[in-house]
Amino acid sequence: MSYYRGICNFCGTGCGHLLQVEGNRVRGVYPLPGHPLSRGRLCVRGWHIHELLQTEERITRPLIREGNSFRPVSYDEAIDFTASRLKTFSGSELAFLGSPRASNEENYLFGKFARAVMKSNNLSLTSDAGLEESARILLEGCGFPAMTGSLSALRQADFILVVGGDLTKQNPIIASEIHFARRSGAFVATISPRKTQMARLSQQHLRPNPGTIWLLLEALARALQTEGLVLIDNLEERVENARQYLEYLDSLDLKQASALTGVEEQEIIRLARKFYESKSAYAFYPVGIQSLDRRSISALLNLFLLAGKLDRPAGGICPVTGISNLLGSLDMGVSPAFLPGYFPADDEASWKRLEELWQVRLDRKPGKSAAACLQEDQSLKALLVVDHDEEIIRHVNRIKELEFVVYFGAYQNAFASLATVIFPRLNYIEGDGTYTNSERRVQLSQKKVEPPAGIKPMWEILSRLASALGQPWPYKSAEEIMAEISRVVPQYSGLSHEKLRASLGLRWPVDDRHPGGTEFPLAEETGRRFKFVFEGSADRRQNLHSGEAGRFPFKLVVGRSNYFWHQNSVMKRTFIPKREYNALLLLYPGGFVEVSEEDARALGLREKQPVRIVSEAAELKLATRISPDILPGMLYIPYFIEEMIPGFLHRQVSELEKNEEFFLPVRLEKVE
Amino acid sequence: MYWLPRDQVRLLVNRLAESYAVYGPRRDEVSGEVVFDRLEYLERLDLQAAIPYNPPKHALLPQYEEILKYLYQKQSRKVTIEKISKVEPKALVGLRACDLNGILCLDRFFLGQEFVDEVYLEHRQKLFIISNTCVRPFPQCFCVCTDSGPAAGEGFDLDLTLAGQGYLVQVGSMKGQKLVEELGLREAGPEAQNLREKIVAESVSSFDNFALENKAWISRATNRLTTGFIKPEVWEYIGNQCFECGACSFVCPTCSCFNVEDVNRVDGPTDRVRTWDSCSFEGYTKMAGDHNPRKPVEDRRNKRFFCKLSYSQSKKYLRPGCVGCGRCARVCPGDIGLPNVVTYIRREITGE
Ligand code: SF4
Ligand code: SF4
Ligand code: SF4
Ligand code: SF4
Repeated sequence: MSYYRGICNFCGTGCGHLLQVEGNRVRGVYPLPGHPLSRGRLCVRGWHIHELLQTEERITRPLIREGNSFRPVSYDEAIDFTASRLKTFSGSELAFLGSPRASNEENYLFGKFARAVMKSNNLSLTSDAGLEESARILLEGCGFPAMTGSLSALRQADFILVVGGDLTKQNPIIASEIHFARRSGAFVATISPRKTQMARLSQQHLRPNPGTIWLLLEALARALQTEGLVLIDNLEERVENARQYLEYLDSLDLKQASALTGVEEQEIIRLARKFYESKSAYAFYPVGIQSLDRRSISALLNLFLLAGKLDRPAGGICPVTGISNLLGSLDMGVSPAFLPGYFPADDEASWKRLEELWQVRLDRKPGKSAAACLQEDQSLKALLVVDHDEEIIRHVNRIKELEFVVYFGAYQNAFASLATVIFPRLNYIEGDGTYTNSERRVQLSQKKVEPPAGIKPMWEILSRLASALGQPWPYKSAEEIMAEISRVVPQYSGLSHEKLRASLGLRWPVDDRHPGGTEFPLAEETGRRFKFVFEGSADRRQNLHSGEAGRFPFKLVVGRSNYFWHQNSVMKRTFIPKREYNALLLLYPGGFVEVSEEDARALGLREKQPVRIVSEAAELKLATRISPDILPGMLYIPYFIEEMIPGFLHRQVSELEKNEEFFLPVRLEKVE
Repeated sequence: MYWLPRDQVRLLVNRLAESYAVYGPRRDEVSGEVVFDRLEYLERLDLQAAIPYNPPKHALLPQYEEILKYLYQKQSRKVTIEKISKVEPKALVGLRACDLNGILCLDRFFLGQEFVDEVYLEHRQKLFIISNTCVRPFPQCFCVCTDSGPAAGEGFDLDLTLAGQGYLVQVGSMKGQKLVEELGLREAGPEAQNLREKIVAESVSSFDNFALENKAWISRATNRLTTGFIKPEVWEYIGNQCFECGACSFVCPTCSCFNVEDVNRVDGPTDRVRTWDSCSFEGYTKMAGDHNPRKPVEDRRNKRFFCKLSYSQSKKYLRPGCVGCGRCARVCPGDIGLPNVVTYIRREITGE
């Protein structure tokens, strides 16, 4: 029984750990003290990853559907069958759903299979599209698509703003770094309607009404202006469209913004001053599980541009990825919007370049996300999915109608039963692969145990499928795939497994000019261009979802962040994390709705009292959970496990779960 | 006392490896950090290394361990139960005194009460323990405050103290005596005992000021904890910072909370598994009717530090439940850790 260095594969923090391996089994886990980011800490999920890696509930053989059951088959048969069926579809009849938990090598090849072999650009991830949106905004506003700051330098920060979600739950070790930064002197402020633990660890907590975070962020920018904290003169040289943006800001009335957001004007000004005075300012927001909305991300970026905080080697804008390799998956171009390396899909030059590199003709037809195809595209006939580890499957009925569904999965779950063909997948310690965390740190996870029953790596299956479909692929190992990635993805051009083996991860861009990686990508002028990102000067009130204050006075928010324990089909295979989320279910077996102390008092509600929630379209009954953490006028239902999702929400959920800025106007009635 | 020249440590270890799986401190090649691990390569043993990041607890109380296997046959309604015994003899080489005291605490928990834990007992009986005096303490250490270091007093088979070109070897058991004789070590001479005392005294005097200052405070904190004279605000302040990760329990050489699960195997039988657990988890205490969902966090924090320092617990362990290794401070995402808790209590007392 010995310890081997590795990385945690749950969230996008990418903490270093030591896995204790005995023979061919993982028996324990321990934090890796020397890791540059996690520095010897793990969260409750990371401390129990060995429980998941022990499970025997694996998919171990290729399976082909026969009626309502599956027949185990050989790899040859499954590959021949799949290839012969895939041949019958055109690119636009196919959609590809990659996994943000899969490695860069797997995602790269999956994308290449979609684009180069099947000529399909319908390619996306199982997580929400927030990271892609964030990358688009950041590219437009500063010319760099990902985190511009450095997590390993966070303890030197003097100002940290955390917007939305609850980092202490989603990325606990990043939240811990923020906490340590505060203890060594940083000013930490949180903007979130809920009183989260992150808020409790902050010196200032601003609680905007649901749906108004973006407005509060614009108000902060406006306060910089009205308080005379902006160097207007030089702004036009620094940022492209400064004049238009300042005009846009002029139209914002602080008093009105304060009334709409519910945040005192003085609080806004206080925070704006702190921000202005800072020398090293960071902003954090969540992406991937329940992302911050587009308008708020833009407003945050504009705020940093206005104060001139982005072009220094300290601080930055930091999207925090909720799932281990979410960023890497986007780096690899598993997205309708970007080809590998963030080359925009709507630019002919990107396609020419890729055709050249891949030596194959590519189809330019604009792709859609798999979710969009399922939702609106009647021509969709087949779907290829990697490790759908959510318990809740959207569009189940549409998926059942499809002619052909291929599933690559490590664990048995509800999604597998929808497939036509199932290929087993290695779990992440059964093969080599690289994973890219929130701060662009590419880390190599090395093989530690042999896969059960001779499971073949996904790259091998994809290669054989490609060969069967007329494009012989030569890959012999994940290492060779990384060698190709380094030619295709410029940000990875200086990376190889060999180099990564001797390091604890390198932050991209890793290239000729930055062989050891890059800590603050905007500190250099190359490639940097600043531009405010905003949409015209619409009446800000119009953009606020006002609801019908009379009949439906409450704002119902469906939250994934607060009680989120990671994709449940994964967590259900652990003991202690499972027990911990079940603790809530035991107390509220039929689910619950959180009501503020004030509203509970006004309505005469007791703890666990049944209440009826009525919306325009439907109603449901739940138990009351009185919470000191939410604002009066707000209701909160956690969206994290099937049992807790009331039926009627299923229908509205695609809107609601986009981010916590969306809400549903409802009324609350006591049930005696 | 005997004398073991430095270059003969290899002989000692090789000899042990003939009958035991050898565990000891080694450095990770890439991160450079020290891990207490089963040594695949004996030459990686590093007796000069700092206190390992992990305690040796996993050698006696594995993080995940099958303790028995049972099979229920439906037709015959018969249950067959089988003890799983995979316990191999282990030699723990180079244990720091704090960690040895940690094992003695675990002994009292698992063996010293009404029920003797047989699985633990088997691990324990097959151990060979070689402790290693800290000739200088490490930055995180405060064993001087908890009476558990920097040198071992009891519980070892052999005990090493580095003195120049070799180790002074103290014998603590028959097993130890036998090994010393087999290796043919020579007597260290009449001055050995004094020399060891001098080395230990020097080590004690080189502890961080923080540890020395805290010495008195730890006993005052113990007092306050036992009598419950700590304001709820202190616990609330601490509770707000707790991320409920469980690490402080997992890394503590004396924490013994465990969880039992039944795992159905694909091939039929069910394994009964014991895993590490922590009182910091809500599900561990299964608080019912949480009206204020935050309060239990504080209570749980309160509970762990109570367990480490209060008199009532000390009576059980015959010593404080904290052995001063400082690990809980290094792994804590909330920057809590026992030394900080003592500081907060001290601030409350002095009103700083
Ligand atoms: S913070 Fe994320 S990466 Fe780190 S231990 Fe927790 S789940 Fe794993
Ligand atoms: S706490 Fe004491 S015994 Fe333990 S390593 Fe430090 S000095 Fe040695
Ligand atoms: S290590 Fe710290 S954060 Fe984790 S449970 Fe213990 S006190 Fe709480
Ligand atoms: S309470 Fe902390 S310092 Fe004390 S023995 Fe346990 S881990 Fe070490």
